[in-house]
Amino acid sequence: MGLLFVLPAALYVAVFQLGPVLYGLVLSFSSYSPISRDGPSFIGWDNYAAIVNDAEFGQAMLVTGRYVLQVLPITVAIALGLAILSNRTFRGVGLFRTGLYVPHVVSLTAVSMIWLWMYSDVGLVNLVLDALGQPGQRWLTTESGALNAVSAMRIWKALGSNMVLLLAGLQTVPKDLYEAARMDGANAWQQFRAVTLPGIRPMLTYVIVMDIIYLAQGFAEIFVLTQGGPYGTTTTVNYLIYTEAFQYNQMGSASAMAFVLFAFIAALTIVALRAGQGRRS
Amino acid sequence: MRRVQRVPISLIASAVAISTLAACGSNEGEGDSELVVWFPGNTEAEMELVQNSIVPAFEEEAGVDIEVTYVDWPDLGPKLNAAFAAGTAPDVIGHGVAATADLAANGRVLDLSEYLDQMDPTQREDMGSALPGGEVDGTPYMVPLMTTIRMIAYSAADFEAAGLDPEAPPETWEEVREVAEDLTERDGSEISRAGLVVPSDPIGVQQTFGTLLWSNGGEFISDDGNATMDTPEAIEALEFYASLYDGESAVDNTLGAQLPNQPAETPVVTGQAAMQLVNAGDIIKLQEAGPDRDLRLMAPPAFDGAEPGAFGGPANGLMINADTAVPDLAWDFVSAMVEPETNLEYVEALGALPVHASSIDSDYISANPELQRAVEALPSAHPNPNVPGWTQMRDAMGQHLERALHGEVEPADALEQANTEVAGILASGS
Repeated sequence: MGLLFVLPAALYVAVFQLGPVLYGLVLSFSSYSPISRDGPSFIGWDNYAAIVNDAEFGQAMLVTGRYVLQVLPITVAIALGLAILSNRTFRGVGLFRTGLYVPHVVSLTAVSMIWLWMYSDVGLVNLVLDALGQPGQRWLTTESGALNAVSAMRIWKALGSNMVLLLAGLQTVPKDLYEAARMDGANAWQQFRAVTLPGIRPMLTYVIVMDIIYLAQGFAEIFVLTQGGPYGTTTTVNYLIYTEAFQYNQMGSASAMAFVLFAFIAALTIVALRAGQGRRS
Repeated sequence: MRRVQRVPISLIASAVAISTLAACGSNEGEGDSELVVWFPGNTEAEMELVQNSIVPAFEEEAGVDIEVTYVDWPDLGPKLNAAFAAGTAPDVIGHGVAATADLAANGRVLDLSEYLDQMDPTQREDMGSALPGGEVDGTPYMVPLMTTIRMIAYSAADFEAAGLDPEAPPETWEEVREVAEDLTERDGSEISRAGLVVPSDPIGVQQTFGTLLWSNGGEFISDDGNATMDTPEAIEALEFYASLYDGESAVDNTLGAQLPNQPAETPVVTGQAAMQLVNAGDIIKLQEAGPDRDLRLMAPPAFDGAEPGAFGGPANGLMINADTAVPDLAWDFVSAMVEPETNLEYVEALGALPVHASSIDSDYISANPELQRAVEALPSAHPNPNVPGWTQMRDAMGQHLERALHGEVEPADALEQANTEVAGILASGS
């Protein structure tokens, strides 16, 4: 009887989630082009071996790692600051919270289109610079600037959801702990370190883990803003997988790349979880 | 008990739904009265012409239903590949010439030799310069719908203001460079008006380099299928390209930028550039967007001692799915699309050049001397190699070309690396 209750959900997970993942795993050991009339042919570990020697994949891994590392700390730090600010009672706090959350509601692709214009030669960013008497920049077409420009957009996009989650965490911290800390003579910084941070640690860990998972799979913003350029300096692993699979029809090697990316994300996630648990203990 | 009974009902419903979906994706059982056609792009004027005029006329004449779908360019490859894998690809496939070789190599599109043999010889001869663009190893798989060529559009107003004669534009790339320096305006160290703007975005960089390479007597791939990108001609062409952005004498300030598609925002129209390498078929739209710029086209230049050559030739075209149940009907539709009058309307809507040599006498072409110049220049048009894996080669070489343009590596080194990668892709046969 119990099995019948879980059967629909189990079927859904098996058919639409586990099935494609397993098929992807099989493809990663195969050579397969969707326009070929032959099905996938088993080639063992060749795709994985090719990845090891693939400079482009190595470069994409570095770009992905850099992207995660330069977005994650900034977005979490700013979001935490904004969460602390919006945890106070002041006039217009609801509007403040809503305003910060709006970017999260809009699709990443749509947001990227808007930022594409903002970063263009005659876009908002250069107009502001011009008004300040500064020369305009080519934000998305220089090696030094393109990934930073994408990162700035991603930081802005991630702020709202991170802030709301951290705000929820802040509101679970008992007020009497702050009162006790104040009575012990703790200043604001000491209260933050001894009360706030331990209190929101589970939520902070969750936010960091989810950000790692999302950022390491960065695609839509890259597709819209830079298409991986200039010369591969913004090509993330997920964007490389897209070109490999859908531009070059190399489904096997694209699947292998996807599983290496999965391992990379899993490793980062485990490190983040361990760090969170370690501090708690 | 009542709840338990719901499970088989939902399963039956799911089975029916899956069967229905499966039936939707199958070509089986379709009669000769339905044709599915995919066109690439999302040009409003083209969609309006095809869906409101060309298709209804064909449907009425042939007594069939045609389902036309427009697929945006970036999505076309993935969607078409998925459709082939699922067995739901359209009967008639509109695509760029670059896609032909891969589809032909995998037996996905029909050899059109028999159909072309049955075509009116006069019309076939009239399309003589366009048809080879749809061939792979001499076998026709695509019928081109339009042709294109990159030419330099220049502002006669800017020429006159700079003391240059707009009636005598440069004829070689060396002269183009000299004139570009004369036309470049600077605000301190910044270029305030580019003397010459050429595309250098990830795809444009290969097409621009191709234009320079071919007009210096070089090739990407030799006739016997070897990569030939490390030749002296190629190095000279890339050095010239890189020099447009390099140092105090730079004449182009758009390195790496995606140039606007809208005519009104095009640098040569806005006055941000005095000359720009453009798709020649766009000249009417550019002239309309910037009437005070007095925009004209110059004949494709060549390097000293070489013949002119510019990226172009047949662009989009139609192929027939090898698995279609209605090949004859599909061919009838393809034939209708390349009827001279229909094709002229079609290219006019797209701002392209026609596939019929006789079109030069049409009102559309003869009414505008610049468009006439573009059609006259078509013999200099040079398409990209039509070989399997071309997209991969284009992207691979593009990255090395970009590095050279940004001054990261010397042109000779960039081309050597590009040549190695292209040779590897050719050898893999992908």
